[in-house]
Amino acid sequence: MAFLEVSNITRRFGGLVALNAVSFDVEKGEILGIIGPNGAGKTTLFGVISGFIPPSAGDVVYDGESIIGVSPDRLVRRGLMRSFQIVQSFADMTALDVVTTAALTRRPMREAIDYAAHALLRVGLGGKEHKTPATLSLQDKKLLELAKCIATDPRCILLDEVMAGLTMAETAAPIAIIEELNKQGVTIVMVEHVMPVIMRLAQRMVVINFGEKIAQGTPDEILKDQRVVDAYFGDHLDA
Amino acid sequence: MRDEFYKTLASPIWWGALVIAAIMPFVLSSYYVHILTLALVYVALASSWNIVGGMAGQISLAHSLFIGIGSMFSAALLLKLGINMWLGLVISAVISGILGAVIAWIDFRFQLGHLSFVLITLAFAEMGSIVVEGWDFLGGASGLLLPKDTGNFLAFQFGGGHGAFWMMLALAAICVLVNVAILNSPLGYYLRTIRDNEKAAQAIGVNILRYKITAMVISAMLASVVGTAYVRYLTFADPYLLISPVITIEIVLFATVGGLGRAYGPALGALLLVPLGEILRGKLGSTLPGLHYFIYGIVVISVILVTPRGLLPLFERLWARWRGPAVAGKP
Repeated sequence: MAFLEVSNITRRFGGLVALNAVSFDVEKGEILGIIGPNGAGKTTLFGVISGFIPPSAGDVVYDGESIIGVSPDRLVRRGLMRSFQIVQSFADMTALDVVTTAALTRRPMREAIDYAAHALLRVGLGGKEHKTPATLSLQDKKLLELAKCIATDPRCILLDEVMAGLTMAETAAPIAIIEELNKQGVTIVMVEHVMPVIMRLAQRMVVINFGEKIAQGTPDEILKDQRVVDAYFGDHLDA
Repeated sequence: MRDEFYKTLASPIWWGALVIAAIMPFVLSSYYVHILTLALVYVALASSWNIVGGMAGQISLAHSLFIGIGSMFSAALLLKLGINMWLGLVISAVISGILGAVIAWIDFRFQLGHLSFVLITLAFAEMGSIVVEGWDFLGGASGLLLPKDTGNFLAFQFGGGHGAFWMMLALAAICVLVNVAILNSPLGYYLRTIRDNEKAAQAIGVNILRYKITAMVISAMLASVVGTAYVRYLTFADPYLLISPVITIEIVLFATVGGLGRAYGPALGALLLVPLGEILRGKLGSTLPGLHYFIYGIVVISVILVTPRGLLPLFERLWARWRGPAVAGKP
């Protein structure tokens, strides 16, 4: 049995079918990449897995148990953590405060503060502990999302476009952090548009288009898949 | 609990301020002691409201209900059923806590937005005042008169004047300390994330319902206890004062002017505005009726315009500038 099993997830918003019977497995300890054009339903899929959006049909099994209907905060305590594409800010709290709150998931107060400071150092935000998230640069905001993830001691992280908007040079830091987390045994599912990044990190990939899974396989297989090329470039392109 | 809380408990400034406050009745005339007692009532109320309104960012207008239960209900228990007011204090606080939990649950269950929450809590407050005015057990519209305060501590009497002042001082100190304790504990972190962004709070493992209820219950129980002490001080349980939404508006105003969500902000607001309002009324109330409201209003509006986040942040900025380079942020 896989660590995370997504089976036949369908989600409708009114008449719009955002996800149509999407299924895939995530094995323990792997990095799975999810790609697809804008509006393909990737963020909705993460919303369903992380407990924020109830699916219209289908099931998600995490670590042997169905997690449909389980609230997001309980999933975090069970080790299933999710980052947001649009960085969620807290108006009146410092970076350290925010990460400390995440660390409180598993640690008492004083330990949580130390652990949060450690997580901020680890992602390279040392010295910015007392800034408010809103005043951080985009890159630093993304790193803060990673620090929040690390601070909860996750077993599985859903990363929603942590590289979007970053220059190639700026992606080096998050890539290193993700690789390190994975080496420590954290399962990672990542949605990403930046192809070189996901090609390098992902061991397997799933491609979604118009709410349906159209392909899955290793990065090399995906690149050669005609359906994927069509989805990204349109099927009239003779390239 | 963060070390900052224990530092506050061991702080000579804290105890010094308490001792200086405690000797005030020997220095000031009874008129000013009365004003200070009132100020302390509002320090306690604004600080208890701050837990929900400031830290969790939920503008509750239901607090007159909790104050009303603490005052009218415990007074009725004593007068109608002969129940000791200490016990009445506990019973009222428990009822207030339960009602607070119900309101917080309704808010969560129906995913009320900020404005809906304000209106729902206001509706609860209005229902409370209708119940009090229509129910003879609680004195109806004419209120209840408590027996004279003879200083019998076991009967929740403090001897009026000085005794009531000290009682209120202790209560105000407890309410402020509860604020300090919450802000330095996990609950404070949870409430601040909930205030700033509920969805993101959930995504880092915060159980929104549990902590909204916790905040509301603590806040409601404290407000109820202050209500019981306040009615003992007033001796007359006046429904138009104690269970009127006006008292909540005043509390919200003091907390906002002082500094929302900060441990000492609401206390500062109440300590400045209550004496200001009372003294203006005392000096001008008979000669130019209404003028004191006008001046008071201008002061409040000016403060909000100059420093929208309250006087405490303003004082801190001034203090930092005066001392030179700023020290790193505080909660």
